[in-house]
Amino acid sequence: MSGADIWLFLQQGILSGLVTGSVYALLAVAVVIIFKTTDVPNFAQGELFMVGAYVALFLVLVMGWAYWLVIPVTIAVVMVAAALFQRVVMERVIASRGVGVQLVIATLGLAYVLKGLVRTTGLGDTPRSLPPLASTSAIMIGDAVLTRLDLLIFAVAIIVMALLFAMFAWTRTGRAMRAVGMNARGAQRVGVNLSRVRMMVWGLSGLISAIAAVLITPKILITPDIAHVAILAFAAAIVGGMSSVPGAVLGGFIIGIAENLVGLFISTNAIVVAPFLAIMIVLIVRPQGILGGRLQVKKV
Amino acid sequence: MKSRFDLMLLVVAAVVLAVLPMFVTGYVLYVVNLLMVFVVLALGMHLVIGETGQFALSHAAFYGIGIYTAGLLNNHFQLPFILSILAGSLLTACLGYMLGALALRMRDIYLALSTFAFGEAMQWVFMNWNSVTNGSNGFRIAPAQIFGYALTNDLRAYPFVIVITALMLWATVWISRSQLGSAFRAVRESDIAALAMGVDVNRVKRMAFTLSAAYAGLAGGLYTTFSSFVHPESLGFQTTILVLTMVVVGGIGSVRGAILGAIGFGLISELLRQALSFQEIIYGAILMGFMMFAPRGLFAERRKRVRITSTTHAPAPVVATRASGESA
Repeated sequence: MSGADIWLFLQQGILSGLVTGSVYALLAVAVVIIFKTTDVPNFAQGELFMVGAYVALFLVLVMGWAYWLVIPVTIAVVMVAAALFQRVVMERVIASRGVGVQLVIATLGLAYVLKGLVRTTGLGDTPRSLPPLASTSAIMIGDAVLTRLDLLIFAVAIIVMALLFAMFAWTRTGRAMRAVGMNARGAQRVGVNLSRVRMMVWGLSGLISAIAAVLITPKILITPDIAHVAILAFAAAIVGGMSSVPGAVLGGFIIGIAENLVGLFISTNAIVVAPFLAIMIVLIVRPQGILGGRLQVKKV
Repeated sequence: MKSRFDLMLLVVAAVVLAVLPMFVTGYVLYVVNLLMVFVVLALGMHLVIGETGQFALSHAAFYGIGIYTAGLLNNHFQLPFILSILAGSLLTACLGYMLGALALRMRDIYLALSTFAFGEAMQWVFMNWNSVTNGSNGFRIAPAQIFGYALTNDLRAYPFVIVITALMLWATVWISRSQLGSAFRAVRESDIAALAMGVDVNRVKRMAFTLSAAYAGLAGGLYTTFSSFVHPESLGFQTTILVLTMVVVGGIGSVRGAILGAIGFGLISELLRQALSFQEIIYGAILMGFMMFAPRGLFAERRKRVRITSTTHAPAPVVATRASGESA
């Protein structure tokens, strides 16, 4: 491998990594906001994302709707599903004094149900793809090749994340969510409706998952197993720090770029194992993640 | 009261298992063998989650390592199956010890995620280390030998599977009643309080991980005695979740719950094997339903306070030890 090749691979890897990383970052943010406000690692995150892809697929393929209608409806469906799950199932688990293990198992239950439901529709039997939102003709940036679709994905992801940050910083709801994340009981004391905030956070997470699904699915084949993407989102969230939203964004880009560089320099086979190595290394070196702040100590 | 009930259960189970081969055919025996493997897996998970309260999601990985180690030793060296099983169990115990040492730095969700990462990475190894595991084509296991007696079918393996499962059950109850078992539960309730009481928390956690991994490795070895094929697909996160479900739905902290959970969920997953989508929906609904309405499971350890104030005529110290060793 000559110097020029390495330079080319670096450019291509980093730019492609920023594009895929932006989608991982979105999903990682969805994981982190739920983890922060409800202390639950949502193992159904990938399935919510998958359901988003299938709802969009159903509307485009079977109903024949146009994209401008498909996107808002998809987002609404996943958002309502996620919010309902929190309201109906998770609140009930909390009420019957379920803690960590029980809450996690409830999200696993959701994951199985969603996967099974998608399979019963019959859509899941063959891999399909959505028609692209933008042209896939090549654009050169430096020496790297991207498509218009890539640029659109990146731009939308960045805009969504900027809006999220603005919401957390300036709106009442966003501040209530942050307050619950810092100290749920304290937030409740000052008048925050805990179960309402938790429901909204799950809804928000569903919204983000649906956007990520609509963005990335024209690029990848849709199968009931694309929920695996969420493992990368988890890796991103852990690398950045499970309870830090900026950390999740940073982690998403790190994982995306690392994945592409590993694919270009080592082998595409090694991509699968890279995120786990990243998780293990980060957890050993800095268990709280890059932007995780100080390690919390449980009090008796 | 309770231990008499357990004794009755054990006697009934022993009788049923003893007469079973006279009435049923190969497939049912295969399922019983498989359920016994699940029982051993669930007992291992019980030690780490039920007794010690550590959230480990790497069970399928250790199970897989046990299968491949025992299977490879058996295929290439025709070792007696006892030796190959022990070798697999020993290897997973060592790996469990190392994972436990890493896990000391983490708690709760970070622990769950790092063990999850370990499990996924191991599945990748099974899938891709073609020269050893035969990768995604699956791995064929030759029949194991014991003193020249080949375990060629389910019926021949059956007695050994039952005996080893019974031994593991006895070991679990013994561990649970030993000082180590009390230390496990002390760490589960509060590791800081346990530390203050003079429990070597790090050692206890490492022991829990080591033992649990050894159980899973042994379960893998047990699997090789009656099964002739394994695919890495079946050694992933789903299997870990299946075992976790057995323990949690059966009842966290209860040996009886772990066993009955293993049998119940093992049967459900075997019965619904043909209808994948319905299996997933039913399975998910059971998980959610139990967590909503009985989050501590069917046979959960009762709250200690209830036990101690219950009207028993035994002298106080005996009641106290019974309460702490209650999960047996």
